[in-house]
Amino acid sequence: MSEEIQMYFDKLLLRIDGLKVITVTDRDGVILIKSESKDFSDRVLEPTLSTTFSVVNDQASKLGLKKNKFIISVYENHQVVHFNNATLITTLVADSTANTGMLLNLGDELKDVTDVIVSALSGHQDIS
Amino acid sequence: MLKPKTISLVLKQATTGGVKATLLLNSEGSPLAFISDSDREARVYAAIASNIWNTIERNGKSVMNGNALKFLLVGCEEGNVVITTVNNNMFLCLVAKPEVELGMLKAKIDALTKHLEEPFQQAATYM
Repeated sequence: MSEEIQMYFDKLLLRIDGLKVITVTDRDGVILIKSESKDFSDRVLEPTLSTTFSVVNDQASKLGLKKNKFIISVYENHQVVHFNNATLITTLVADSTANTGMLLNLGDELKDVTDVIVSALSGHQDIS
Repeated sequence: MLKPKTISLVLKQATTGGVKATLLLNSEGSPLAFISDSDREARVYAAIASNIWNTIERNGKSVMNGNALKFLLVGCEEGNVVITTVNNNMFLCLVAKPEVELGMLKAKIDALTKHLEEPFQQAATYM
C-alpha cells in the first residue's frame, strides 16, 4: 500500500509543471510521505515549514472566518501551499511561476489519500 | 505628505464585490487606515494578519534560502484573507467572502500595492 502511495506521489510531480516537493506530515513536522524532485534543496524537508503552518493555522482560525483550510505563501522564486487535514498537513512546494489554481486543485485531490491515513491513525478505518 | 482621507478613499475602492474589509497596517499589527464593518473586526484582522506574516517570514527565510516573502493567501471556511507588503514595514490586507475568486483578490491587492507604493516611498524620505 505504501509503495503504491509513493508511486502515486512521484507521478504527481511530473503531472504539474514547476511542482518540486510534496510532503504529508503530522503537526510536529514528522514526515509520513514525501516526494521530491532531484534539483531541490533538502532544507525544505526540514520540519520548520510544517510546524510553522501548524502555529499559523491556529492563529488563522481565530480570524472569525471559521476553520483555516489552506495557506499559500509566495516567495521570490518559490510558492508553498499548505493544506490542513485534521491531524495531517499536506505541503506542496513549487516554482513561483507554477499555476496556483492547479496546486489548490491537487490539494483537494490529495485529501482523498490523506483522509484514509487520518482515519487509520484515529483507529476508525473502514475495511472495504 | 500623505493625506489620511485619500488613503481611506483608495481602500474604499477595493472594498466592493464581496470584499468585507481592506486594511493598511504596520508590522506591529496596528491598523493605520481601514475600511471595515466594525472597528473591532478590523483590529482583530490587523493583529492576526501581521502575526501570520511575521511568523511565516521569520521561519521561511532560512528554508527558502533567504528568498523574501511577497504574498500570503489564507483560506478559511467562511472567507479568504490576502496579505502583502507595501514597503518594508507596512502591510496591506484584504478580507473577502469565500465566493470572491482568489484571482480577483490577488488582482485587487496588486493594484492597491502599485498605487500606494510610490506615495509611501516619498513619505519615507521625510521620516
